[in-house]
Amino acid sequence: MTKLGVVADMTLREMLRRRGVLILLLALPLAFYAVRRNGNSGESIRALFLGLCWAISAAALFSSAAGRAVEPRLRLSGYRSHHLYLGRLAALLVLGTGIAVPLLALVAVDPAQNAVSLGGVALAMLLCVTVAAPFGLLIAALVPRELEGTLVLLVIVGIQMVVDPAGAGAKLMPFWSSREIATYAVDHTGPGYLDRGLVHGAAFTVALALLVAVLSTYRLRTRSHMRFASGR
Amino acid sequence: MTISDGWLHDLGMELRRRGVPGGTADHVVAEAATHLRDSGEPPMAAFGPAAAYAAVVSDSVGDAWRRARRPVPGSVRLRARGITKRYRRREVLTGVDLTVYAGQVAAVVGANGCGKSTFLRICAGLISPDKGTVQVDGSIGYCPQDGGTIEFLRPEEHFVLVGGGRDWPRERSRAMGRAAAATLDWDPSTPELSRHLSGGTRQKLNLIMAGLGDPDVLLLDEPYQGFDRGTYVDFWQQVWRWRDNGRAVVVVTHMLTQFDLVDTVLDLSGADQGRRSQ
Repeated sequence: MTKLGVVADMTLREMLRRRGVLILLLALPLAFYAVRRNGNSGESIRALFLGLCWAISAAALFSSAAGRAVEPRLRLSGYRSHHLYLGRLAALLVLGTGIAVPLLALVAVDPAQNAVSLGGVALAMLLCVTVAAPFGLLIAALVPRELEGTLVLLVIVGIQMVVDPAGAGAKLMPFWSSREIATYAVDHTGPGYLDRGLVHGAAFTVALALLVAVLSTYRLRTRSHMRFASGR
Repeated sequence: MTISDGWLHDLGMELRRRGVPGGTADHVVAEAATHLRDSGEPPMAAFGPAAAYAAVVSDSVGDAWRRARRPVPGSVRLRARGITKRYRRREVLTGVDLTVYAGQVAAVVGANGCGKSTFLRICAGLISPDKGTVQVDGSIGYCPQDGGTIEFLRPEEHFVLVGGGRDWPRERSRAMGRAAAATLDWDPSTPELSRHLSGGTRQKLNLIMAGLGDPDVLLLDEPYQGFDRGTYVDFWQQVWRWRDNGRAVVVVTHMLTQFDLVDTVLDLSGADQGRRSQ
């Protein structure tokens, strides 16, 4: 637990020192929200969620890429691979929550959103963070180069924006859950939207985290040519 | 302080920095002082710069001292056998063998692109060879050629990160890092981020991270890039300290003049790759 905590602490410090990046991470969902604010309430909230997902995924992608060169030597220093990816994930969850809180406050004070269920919005934002963080880590694990990873993220978020949410294919998209819960929170529909969103978000969070775990463990494995005579 | 006093002081400092033992260094300084007094010559005219004169003395006296105190090698710490590595169609390593015992320093030499860094990364277990095995007895410390630090962390936070892997409390990690930094004449308690450090200072940080926790096998990939001359000398002093404490040290280098500083040389150049050692 201490090892995981040290990795999380250092990852968070590293990210919080990138002031410009932090501003942009907050500006991205705000820009999405502002552009759609003249439309109906649901559109602006959904755009806000998508912007939040995009921002956190991008942060995870770049954070993982930055740590890639150092992680092998940290393994030699005594860390297990799960300390490294779980520590980074924990830091990203804290960062994502930190970004989501002011956005939630904005929705709460915006007169255009006075009919919105704040509890539903908060829940959707939480799922945005828990899905987007491992999603960004997964892209970084699959596509190690930053530019290619960014383009992959761009493609997926772009598809998410234009895909018909009622279509079967939409459920395969990682951030579908936030759209469902947004519908529940804004349009005050029945609990079906909330339930589907919760199940989808939780399932994607777990599945993405597991995939990250498998890929990280493989990348940082003890190579088969190594023979250790005694403890490392 | 006269010019001669200042020069003699610099000479003494430089001799110690180069590992010439205190008694011998004092003797050299006393002889130089006697010569200056008797001849009345200014030190620059008689001996040239203190650092250059210390280098000459160190080469003649210091090397003999270093060789005399080399410890008897212990058990095998690292044994690489038949390492072969191919990148696409190009075979960069062909059946390379290397054995390093506790209390030995090995140099891996060769031209650019001959596979020195690849070999070291294979020994560290960071990449897989196409053929061959690496047997390691103990823990490994690895210093990459570059890129081993985290841009937005401070030097002491790097120590905490590495020490955390060894279950050290944070203050112990910082203290160990500071002590190691002192041997390289560097104070790491700076609020500067790693990305703002000079290239040489960043390499010092890299080297300290590799040595934290006294690993049994140290794999150093041209760790002195960007070092000034004094730090370069300090680096080799540190390598010999590790050796004297029973560590096995492998240094990748392209500087052939360092052959006399090590116990074993693995030359990865040409057809006799991996077969030459002294």
